[in-house]
Amino acid sequence: MIHYFVPSSLKEALKILNENDCYIFAGGTDLMVQKHLSSGLLPNFDKDVLFIMKINELNYIEKDNEGNIHIGATTRYNEIEASSLIPEIYKTVIKEIASPNIRNMATLAGNIGNASPAGDSLLPLILNDAEVVLSSIDGERIIKVQDFILGVKKLDRKQNEIIKEIVIKPQELDYFYRKVGSRKAESITKVSFLGGYKIEKNRLVDFRVAFGSVSTKVVRNQEVENKYINKELKDIDIDSVVNDYTNLVTPITDQRSNKEYRHKVAMNLLKKFLKEIKGGRDE
Amino acid sequence: MPSKGYQILITMLPKYLTSVKKVDNEEKMSGMAIFTGDILMEDAYYAIPVRSTISFGKILEIKVPTLPKNYYFISAKDIIKENVCNIIVDDWPVFADKETHYKGETIGLIVGPDKKKAIELSKLVEVKYEEYEPVYEMKNSYVHKEFVKGDKEVFKKASKVFSEEFETGYQDQIYLEPQGMLMWLDGDKITVKASMQCPFYIKKAIMRTLGYPEDKVRVIQPAVGGAFGGKEHYPSLMGAQLATAIVKIKKPIKMIFDRKEDITFTTKRHPSKTNISAYLDDKDNILGVKIHVGIDGGAYIGCSMVVLSRALIAATNTYTFDNVEIVGDAYCTNKIPSAAFRGFGSPQSIFAIELFINHLADFLHVNPVDLRTKYLVKTGDITSTNGVFRDPIILKDLIDKAFEMSDYKRKVKEYSKPGTYRGIGYSTFLHGCGFTGSGESTIINAQLRMKKDKDGVVTFYTSQVDFGQGNRTTLKRIVVDTLGIPEDKVIYDAPDTDQTLSTGPTAASRTIIIVGGLVAKAAKHLKEIWIDGKEQEIVEPYVGPSYIKWDEDTMQGDAYPGYAWGVNVIEVEVDPITYEVSIIGTWSTYDVGHAIDERIIIGQADGGLAQALGWAYLEKEEVSDGEFKQTRMSDYVIPTFVDLPKMETALIDNPFPYGAFGAKGAGELTFVGGAPAFAIALEQAINRKVHKIPATPEYIMELIENGN
Repeated sequence: MIHYFVPSSLKEALKILNENDCYIFAGGTDLMVQKHLSSGLLPNFDKDVLFIMKINELNYIEKDNEGNIHIGATTRYNEIEASSLIPEIYKTVIKEIASPNIRNMATLAGNIGNASPAGDSLLPLILNDAEVVLSSIDGERIIKVQDFILGVKKLDRKQNEIIKEIVIKPQELDYFYRKVGSRKAESITKVSFLGGYKIEKNRLVDFRVAFGSVSTKVVRNQEVENKYINKELKDIDIDSVVNDYTNLVTPITDQRSNKEYRHKVAMNLLKKFLKEIKGGRDE
Repeated sequence: MPSKGYQILITMLPKYLTSVKKVDNEEKMSGMAIFTGDILMEDAYYAIPVRSTISFGKILEIKVPTLPKNYYFISAKDIIKENVCNIIVDDWPVFADKETHYKGETIGLIVGPDKKKAIELSKLVEVKYEEYEPVYEMKNSYVHKEFVKGDKEVFKKASKVFSEEFETGYQDQIYLEPQGMLMWLDGDKITVKASMQCPFYIKKAIMRTLGYPEDKVRVIQPAVGGAFGGKEHYPSLMGAQLATAIVKIKKPIKMIFDRKEDITFTTKRHPSKTNISAYLDDKDNILGVKIHVGIDGGAYIGCSMVVLSRALIAATNTYTFDNVEIVGDAYCTNKIPSAAFRGFGSPQSIFAIELFINHLADFLHVNPVDLRTKYLVKTGDITSTNGVFRDPIILKDLIDKAFEMSDYKRKVKEYSKPGTYRGIGYSTFLHGCGFTGSGESTIINAQLRMKKDKDGVVTFYTSQVDFGQGNRTTLKRIVVDTLGIPEDKVIYDAPDTDQTLSTGPTAASRTIIIVGGLVAKAAKHLKEIWIDGKEQEIVEPYVGPSYIKWDEDTMQGDAYPGYAWGVNVIEVEVDPITYEVSIIGTWSTYDVGHAIDERIIIGQADGGLAQALGWAYLEKEEVSDGEFKQTRMSDYVIPTFVDLPKMETALIDNPFPYGAFGAKGAGELTFVGGAPAFAIALEQAINRKVHKIPATPEYIMELIENGN
C-alpha cells in the first residue's frame, strides 16, 4: 500500500519523513516521467510519496546580511528566472532548461535531488560553491552541492532529510557557458561547459571549470584550477590546461550521443574558453 | 509554423486563391474534438499486447498465468478464419504463431476490465523460444525489381565510370496522437473507431481474419491527430487483433498506445542504401546511369514492394538520361516491418541522385548547376519507365524563382571561400500523384456517393480521413463552389463505412488530385440534373486518363496520372566548436497544379519541409540487437519552432486538366526535396562530401576530423 502525504508545514513534513521512506515530490517534472505507467493510469510509485509543493514556507528567495541568496525548496525555475536577487549566470543557464511550461513547475531543489549528470542547473551551483541546507527532525546541516551529489541518482542524504533551501554566494566572475543538446530547445544536454574567471592586472585571480554530461556527476576539479590561479595570462598554456582535463572528462556512449563527440566538444569548449580568457574580455 | 513568406505568382482563378477557415478549426483549437482515446465507454475492456522478446525464433510454449474472472489471453489459437493481416502482401500474421520474426511482434493480448491489472498479467505470460540467428543487415532480398530504358550496350562503351553509395535512416512519424482503437459490438456487427488513414483497409483486414461479410463490419472515423503514413497499415493489424478478441469476449475493447510503445513497436520509414554509377564517354557526357536502391523492409513485406516501386520510379528524379538501368531490392530483416511514410520510398532515392549529380559535377570539374540543368527533364521527355511526361513542366521557372528568392547565385559564390562555415544548396524534385500506374482505375476504382434532399441540402461521402491536412475543408469547398450554393447547404462528415462507398485510402497524395477531381465531377453532374424540391442521388465512378497504361510486372509505361514539382533552397551555418547546424533560411517553389486553398498548401509546405529537415539532421533512430535505441521524444528529437527559420514559399500556377480546379497533389511533394538540399548546403559549409543522413553533429565531427 503506497501512501501519499501532502503536508502544509515543514515540521509536519519532517515528521512524516522520519517515519516513512518517501519519494520527495516537488514539481514532479522528473518523477512523473520516471514513474509513468500507462496513459489514464496513476504513476507507478513503488514507495510512499511526500508532496511538498503545499509547504508555502519553503517558497522564497531571500538575501541575507552577508549577501548570500537563499532559495527555498519549492521555488520554481520561473520564479528564480524572474527574481532580481538572482545572479545572471543562473538565469542564463535556467533559460535553456527544458521549456517554459516545464520551468513553470520544476524546482531548483528538484534538479539537485534528481542528481542527473545532465542536470543543467548543477553547473553554476557547483562552479560557485553553492550549498544545500538539509533539514530533518534532528536539526539542520549544510553541505556543498558538489559533495552532496555522489553520482548518478546518488545523494549524501539520509532518509529523514529534505532539501530545505539552496544557498548561493555572490560572485563577481566572468562566465562562459555553452549547453549542447540535440536541438535548440527542449533538449537534454549531450555535453555542457561552464567556465568562470576573474582577471586582475593580467593575472588570473579566479579560474573555475565545470563540465556536464561527461561523467557520473558534474566534473569540477579544484586541484587543476589552483594550478592556474594567480598565474600571468601569458603563462597559461592552453594545451597544458586541456591536458589536465582530458582524463577527467570520461563520457559514455548512449542513445543521445557518443563518447568521442562528447569528449571532443568538451575540449573544444574548454579551448574556446581559454582563448577568451587570454584574449581579454573584448575579443 | 506560420509563414508569411508565401506568394502567389500567376493566378488563374482568383476567387479560389483565398483561404477559408478550416472546418475543424474550432473543435481542434478549443480541445472539444473527440479523439479515440477520449471516447468513454464504461464497460470497455483494455487490451495489452504480449510481445516477442527475441528477434527470430521458434515459439515453443506460451505459459499463461491463471487468469482472474473476466480476463482473457487471446492469441493465434483464437483465430477465427485466417491468421493473416491484409496489407497488400499477406505475410504479416495477426498474432505470431509458430515463429516470431522480430522483437516486439504481438504474440497475444491480455484483455480485461482493469488496465493496470491487464498490464500486470501481461508481464506474467512466459514464452519459451528456440532462438535462431537473426539478420539485421540488408542482405536477404524478398522483393526484386528491375527495368531498363534505352540501350544496355552503351554501358560497355564508357571510357570512365563514377560510382557512389548513399544511406538514409529510419524515421518515425511522430504524429501528435499515438495509435489507438476502440471496438464494440452493435448487435453482431463489429464497429470500430480508431486513429486511422484508411477506414476500408481496417474493414477489409477484419473481414479477412474473421471471414465476415461486408455488412458485419463498420468503421467510423473520429478526430485523428496526424498520420503521415504511419496509420495507413498498422491500424489494420490492431483491428484484426481486437476483432479476434471481441468475437470471444463480446465486450467493447480499447487499445491505446503510449508514445514509447508507439515509437518502439509501430512501422517507420524504410532505411535505404542506394548505389549509383554514371557511365561517361571521353567528352564527359553521361552515356547512361545505373542505380540500385535497397530498402530495409523488416520482418514482413507488407507494403514494401510498393514502396520499392516508387523509390525506383523516382530514382532518376528530375533528370532525363537516355540509357538507364534501375534495380531494386527490399530486404527481409528481423526488425519491425517498415511501411508507409510521406514520400513512400521516393525521398530515399531522390536524396541519393541529388547528391550524386552534385558530386559528379565535382568529379568532372564542372559547375553543378550547369550539369544539373543539362540533364533537366523537359515536357515530352521519356520517363525511366518509358512513359511520357505529357503535362507542361515548368521546372525552369521554379528554379529561377527559387534562386531569385534566396539570392542563391551570390551566396553560393560567397560561401565557397574557406572559413565561412556557411553553405547553400538546392534540390529539384517531383512527386507522382495517386496510385502507381493505372492503379486508380484498376485497383482502387473509387466511387463517390452524393445526394440531395428536398430542401436542396447536398451530402456527399468519401473514405478520405482528415488527420489535420485539411481535406475536409477543401473537398467541401469544391462542392460548394461547383454547385454555387451556400456552405451550410453542403454536408460532408468524417467517413463511416456504412455511409460511404470506398473512394480509396488517404494516401499517395491522391486525395485532391484523384478524389477531389471525382468530387468536382460528381458535383458538376448533380448540377446538370438538378431538379428543385426533389430528392436525388448519384454514384460517380472514377475514370482515369485513358492514355495511362502501366505494367507492374515489367515496370513499363506511365507510372502516375500526374506529377507535382518543386525546388528547395536551404542555407545552413555550422558551429566548428560543437558541429551543430543552424538552418538560416529555406526558400521553396512548388507546382501543385492550381492551389485551391493557399493557406492549406502553405501548411503542407512548411510542415513537409520541417519534417524532411528533421529526417536530414536531427532524427536518429538506431537499432541495437533488433531494438530501437531512441524510444522517447526526448531522445528521438524532431525540430522545434526554435530550430526552424522563417520558411519562404512561392506557388506557380500550372493547372492539371484532371484535378479539381486544376489541383495536383501537395502532401508528399513538400517532403521530398528537403534532405538533399540540406545535405548539399552542409557539404559547402564544411567542405566535405556527405553520403548519409541523419547528418548529426557526431557525423559532422567525423567528416571534419577525418577529411573526405
